[in-house]
Amino acid sequence: MQNHFQTLLEQAKEEIEAGDSPAQLEALRVKYLGKKGALSQGLSQMGKLPHEERKKIGAVANQVKAAVEALLERAMQRAEEAALKASLKGPKLDISLPGRLCRQGHRHPVSQTMDDIVDIFVGMGFEVADGPEVELGWYNFEALNFLENHPARDMQDSFYVSPEGFGENAPPMVLRTHTSPVQIRAMQASPPPLRAIMPGRVYRRDFDITHTPMFHQVEGLFVDTHVSMADLKGTLNAFVRAFFGESVKTRFRASYFPFTEPSAEVDIGCVICQGTGCRVCKMSGWLEILGAGMVHPNVFSASGYNPQEVTGFAFGMGIERTAMLRYGLGDLRALFENDVRFLAQF
Amino acid sequence: MKVSLKWLSDYVHVPAELKAEALAERLTLAGLEVEGLSHTGAGLEAVVVAQVVSVEKHPNAEKLSVVKVDCGEGGPLQIVCGARNFKSGDKVPLAKEGAKLPNGMHISRAVVRGVESFGMLCSAKELGLSEDAEGLLLLEEALKVGEPLAKALELDDVVLEVNITPDRPDALSHLGIARDISALLSLPLQLPEAPCATPPQASASHPSGFGIEIAAKERCLRYAACLVEGLTVAPSPQWMRRRLAACGIRAINNLVDVTNYVLLEYGQPLHAFDVDKLPAKRMVVRLAREGEVLTTLDEKARVLSAEDLLICDGERPLALAGVMGGKDSEVSAQTRKVLLECAVFSPVHTRKTAKRHGLQTESSHRFERGVDISQVHMALKRAAKLLAQLGGGEIAGDIFEVYPEEKPQRVLPWRASKFRQVVGHEVEEAEAARILSALGFQKQGEGAYEVPSSRSDILHEEDLIAEVARIMGYAHIPSLPPRMLRPAQLPEALFWERKIRQLLCGMGLSEVLNYSFAQPSHVALLGEKAPVILQNPMSEEMSVLRTSLFPGLLHNIGRAKRHQAESAALFEVGRSYFPRAHSGGSGAPPALERHEVAGALWGLRTGKRTWTAAEESYGFFDMKGMVESLLKALKVEGVRFEPLEEAAYHPRASASVWAGEERIGSLGEVHPRVAKHMDVPSNVFLFQLELEKLKLCASKQPRKCALSEHPSVLRDLAVVLPRACSHERVVELMYKTGAPLLEEVQLFDIYLGKPIAETHKSFAFALRYSDPNRTLADGEVNEVHERIVEEISTVLGGKRRI
Repeated sequence: MQNHFQTLLEQAKEEIEAGDSPAQLEALRVKYLGKKGALSQGLSQMGKLPHEERKKIGAVANQVKAAVEALLERAMQRAEEAALKASLKGPKLDISLPGRLCRQGHRHPVSQTMDDIVDIFVGMGFEVADGPEVELGWYNFEALNFLENHPARDMQDSFYVSPEGFGENAPPMVLRTHTSPVQIRAMQASPPPLRAIMPGRVYRRDFDITHTPMFHQVEGLFVDTHVSMADLKGTLNAFVRAFFGESVKTRFRASYFPFTEPSAEVDIGCVICQGTGCRVCKMSGWLEILGAGMVHPNVFSASGYNPQEVTGFAFGMGIERTAMLRYGLGDLRALFENDVRFLAQF
Repeated sequence: MKVSLKWLSDYVHVPAELKAEALAERLTLAGLEVEGLSHTGAGLEAVVVAQVVSVEKHPNAEKLSVVKVDCGEGGPLQIVCGARNFKSGDKVPLAKEGAKLPNGMHISRAVVRGVESFGMLCSAKELGLSEDAEGLLLLEEALKVGEPLAKALELDDVVLEVNITPDRPDALSHLGIARDISALLSLPLQLPEAPCATPPQASASHPSGFGIEIAAKERCLRYAACLVEGLTVAPSPQWMRRRLAACGIRAINNLVDVTNYVLLEYGQPLHAFDVDKLPAKRMVVRLAREGEVLTTLDEKARVLSAEDLLICDGERPLALAGVMGGKDSEVSAQTRKVLLECAVFSPVHTRKTAKRHGLQTESSHRFERGVDISQVHMALKRAAKLLAQLGGGEIAGDIFEVYPEEKPQRVLPWRASKFRQVVGHEVEEAEAARILSALGFQKQGEGAYEVPSSRSDILHEEDLIAEVARIMGYAHIPSLPPRMLRPAQLPEALFWERKIRQLLCGMGLSEVLNYSFAQPSHVALLGEKAPVILQNPMSEEMSVLRTSLFPGLLHNIGRAKRHQAESAALFEVGRSYFPRAHSGGSGAPPALERHEVAGALWGLRTGKRTWTAAEESYGFFDMKGMVESLLKALKVEGVRFEPLEEAAYHPRASASVWAGEERIGSLGEVHPRVAKHMDVPSNVFLFQLELEKLKLCASKQPRKCALSEHPSVLRDLAVVLPRACSHERVVELMYKTGAPLLEEVQLFDIYLGKPIAETHKSFAFALRYSDPNRTLADGEVNEVHERIVEEISTVLGGKRRI
């Protein structure tokens, strides 16, 4: 019996050492150590032996079993290592083949620019407000101190909306010519202090290389008991640095808007030629990007604020122009043609 | 407005060391934006005054002459010339060899048809002085031969193109701009001399029998006139012609030129009538009668309305007040005696008349904005004196006028504290006083200023503050760092809008921005409600507002196809507009503006043909899948789809999209009729979702569920069903029957064809069973699974496919 186990071990050793694939070794494990394997069969015959003998042979059998297991373990490691090595050889992938692309959409440069501008002002504590694009004439003009029949109205050529469909009490309506009417609505909606940014579509009756009948603006408003032009300058300077870069200079010059007094135009040092003079800045070294000023007392009165108690600044800028400067685009109209080849650039 | 610096120097002496460019910048910063600056003498450096010595015919050319000119140095120069409007002894401009003219032409020695030419005799156009290209520019006799032309003609000038904002009618004149310069540079202002004594109270009539009557006092605020007689009509002197030319006004004769000159000097429009054409001798200012006709100076017969204001001789109309003179009373070469009109008309009415007749003139431009009523006498005297001087005549008697109501000047408060509050900077009291006084404001005791009548724009204390601030310069205002009130957050609507943009970009759709305008036929095609109509559209194609984002997207797809794209996947976030009944007097937004997101898919799913994927085009289930994925990412609950019939979509492949009981949008294949009409391929798929509704059902919270530690049991099940049985019905039944152990059902195959009957189809599902608290036994799963098969059989008439 004892010899039987010893022979079994010798035999297993020989076969395991000859085996060189994991599959072969697995077959050997079954042959020797499986439920119906050689070792089990040998052990099953031990029942006939006397107790003492059984104990002795049992110990031998266990030793043999452990030895076979160890042999198999080592051989298995060896075989797996060899199989891995073999699998690493062989022909390589043509890694120059194009990858499987994920189709990726592109943001429109105007909406991207708008988001970036809004985010800068939100970072400075401005709430975001919204208003209608089909606007009552009163909000677009009178409330903003644009008097009927004043030449200031020529500054913005408006689209007038037909009363058809608006019922018997249809008021005079326009497509808003600027985002400024949202200022009035924002002030009517909440008492001071108020700080808001108002992005959106606006419409003017103009169509050429530098004008489209629809474009986008961002309006800003800050009203409190002590807001001054110094705050206006600081806020807009902070915006220009954040958006155009730390080194970009600004210039505030006097101007006129009916709804602010004093009024200012804000220029930045030309980002194309760095101020040396080019076609984009018409050789002036400056680019006009913003209109701004201190909210006119008539505008406060129209909005239900008391001009004796509060002061405030307001500003507005065109998004398309800002986007064109940022991305170096030439023709404004391309922004609304939505050519897929154009969009794919962003 | 064009401004001559030479002319300005009559009133304010700008030190020579301040270059024109620097002055232009100062003006720009103070609100008089200089948009252009040109050196008028530029390009004339090698052009001199020459005198014609002899003119002979060119031996070889019919139309050319050979001219010898004296140019002050050396012997006579021989020039070949094509012009014929001169003779021996005339003085003409000569561009010498090496000259580079303003139009870019280089002058060099040349041989013209065999005759040598040593320069060029020039026309006014070639010198950039006017548009006149007819013959040579003939110079005045008095000019010195050999003198540089620029110097001889006072051309060493700089012309500024100043953009005058509508609030500054006072700056539509050289004097007005000079006043700003004097305030900016602390220089004295010199007014032009205009001696001519007038009694303090002018009479309404002239001794010669002329009288003035104003029948529309709210329209004509002041009307003054004076007579100048013994005139000879002639060209104006060179200096005046040149100044007018620099400002872009063509010289005509001394009569007309003087009125234009004073217009540019004072900003006061004037009109000269030929007295011989005023038989009634009654200058009547009255409203026109409806349908009355007046032929204006531009030779157009204008039919007037009862709103137009006329200047009449008795009954007979002479001029459209404040806008343009009439042809009948125009001055001519025979005019000997004129009546000079100097009036002020109401801004609003002048504007209405100018708009009604589509006539924008230098005169109406100024009256619309407001002319200084206090300077009427000064301007009139100035014009009369110039006219008498240049026309060799004399002023007959005093000014006569009607000035119905002289209004007192406005007085406004001035507080340094208010200045500090608004501007955020201190101004010294003395400096503020200096600035205001230089601008013509008169101090009225402590803390108050009287506004000059030229500044109709100054109505509030803030306007005074703005004047001081702009002259002081905004550069002096400090820049305070932004102050925080409270941290701001994006509003919900914008948050979701951005999220949706981001998600759709991630799914391969590119964002477009289309015009909000639409074509009425497209609105009708999509069967939408009546649109918002524009009264003055750019074109018929843009004459209403869109009622859907689809026409824009389809247009974009059409464009992509025309440019040989193989595919396009686009979306837009924007509004649709609908009219709605308005309750009078309310400030509510008048139109219904629906915030939407819409998208369109067309062509190859991968964008381009690739080796990694089969060549498949976008289909209905790509569109539906995108909408499902989008809604899932927004954590919208209870999403379902219902069959739909709407004009935009193919009736066999479209669906409405629901979140619970709310319809939030729709999707489907484009209707073939729409595709044809809009010239796009028929396999375009569209979707549309309403943002306001989406905002309400989207969630920022995670969808929470317990993660079971116990393994689930997976079973596949293929069933054969009647074709008409929808997927939704089967799955619903499976969940109902399989609850609570059936966790998930996923369709993974559809099979049609043999051996399955043509009336039937096969669906293959993967089912996942689980219990969060224990490991399921095979037996209980089998039991549920078999029950499902039974239910499918009894309820839907399906059977297990083996």
